[in-house]
Amino acid sequence: MIKKIKATLFEKIIFVFLIILASVTLGSYYIIKNKCLFVKNHNPENINFEKPENIVILNAPCGNVIIELYPNVSPKGVERFKTLIKSGLYDDVAFHRVIKDKLVQAGDLEFGKKNSINYGKIGTGKSGLGTIRSEVDNDFSFTKGSVGLARTFKNDTEDSQFFIILQDEPLFEGEYTPVGKVLYGLEILKKIKYQRHSEYILRPDFINSFRMLN
Amino acid sequence: MKLFKVILLIIFFITPLKANTIYNLIKIPNLELYQIDKKNQLRYLYASSSFRLGVKKNIVCMNSTKEDYNKKFDLISYNLNKYSKDFLKKINLRYVVMCENLSISGINTAGIPDNIMKTLILDIKFNEKYFKRTIHHEVFHLINDSFKEIFNEDEWVKFNNKNFKYADCSTCTKKLGLNTYTNTNGFFTEYSQSTPSEDMAETFSHIMTLSPKKLKEINDADNILKNKVEFIKYRLLKIYKDFKFSEEF
Repeated sequence: MIKKIKATLFEKIIFVFLIILASVTLGSYYIIKNKCLFVKNHNPENINFEKPENIVILNAPCGNVIIELYPNVSPKGVERFKTLIKSGLYDDVAFHRVIKDKLVQAGDLEFGKKNSINYGKIGTGKSGLGTIRSEVDNDFSFTKGSVGLARTFKNDTEDSQFFIILQDEPLFEGEYTPVGKVLYGLEILKKIKYQRHSEYILRPDFINSFRMLN
Repeated sequence: MKLFKVILLIIFFITPLKANTIYNLIKIPNLELYQIDKKNQLRYLYASSSFRLGVKKNIVCMNSTKEDYNKKFDLISYNLNKYSKDFLKKINLRYVVMCENLSISGINTAGIPDNIMKTLILDIKFNEKYFKRTIHHEVFHLINDSFKEIFNEDEWVKFNNKNFKYADCSTCTKKLGLNTYTNTNGFFTEYSQSTPSEDMAETFSHIMTLSPKKLKEINDADNILKNKVEFIKYRLLKIYKDFKFSEEF
């Protein structure tokens, strides 16, 4: 005969406490691990756009960033941007330069691809289409969410790299070629991996896809 | 040595990244935005603490007080507003840095123009008497740097008397006086006699600051200066046909 042993009240309290502790630990781990948990993802199909031909969707790790392009401000810059988006070349390209709450930069097609990332040269790659002229003469306010083409110190060196600013940058006006503005999903960009000590990111996040709306 | 490396690494890992837009744009540290001019889009910056520049860090400038920045800003912006946005774009001037006690390799200087970085650094504590003229003098260096072939020094030298010779460089002469001569004799100031480009800059700064009446008087009395003034004016209009000289303000 096996003698039944009844748990004391103290043992029951300890048992319940351990179960609660385990649940909290697992829950916290899930919340901490999932950086996208409280970020709203926008579905472009549920939104009406005035100029759908100028809407592009950048799918980042936490969801969609919906951008409106401005061909009237920078015709050549937008034309280049659309060409690269339509050809799918931005897919699996790293957000290689990220400054927390300030800027995200991507678009190095040569050294920033997921399967062939080159940390030594990332940020210097080219598209193979050549550089284009800077378009900095038209009025454009570089407010939060503005998208611009990156360049070297010299003008007329824009190629495929682009940046999106996460705060107003009035000094960028007249310096960089603007191509558009984020309509929805700025909070998704704020979740892109950054490093406290460096602008350039080791094991960065990648663009899942970058497509025209239509 | 190992300990030093460890300390360096620790400092690196505990120091958060401070992204500085101004530094990223013009590679001068410790600057803050003072104002963006709505008319010609010039960005006025000021040194919040001292900075060093150059490969050998031989360019040094100190920060000034808020009162001094405020005091000099009006004068600087008034004078630089004589240049239109389009003209400034042509000569690659976009940022004006205000600081004090500017020096290169220990030699004090009024301003440092850099048309590659689109920047003009001005020493706001430079001699009050010549400060206004200095602004235009430095602007001319930017013009000259952008259009060297237009401001041909060989042509310029021919305006002077045959027995006159410039120094080899602007710092290898003792002719540094900035007082405008009463008896000009081919040069506006003593410093004009240092090098052809300084002579051109001095001529330009006088064109931009003298009253039309005074400039005419000097031109009428000094044929060499008349030719030099014409040279500068003609070539400036070649670069930018809507350029406005002082008499048109």
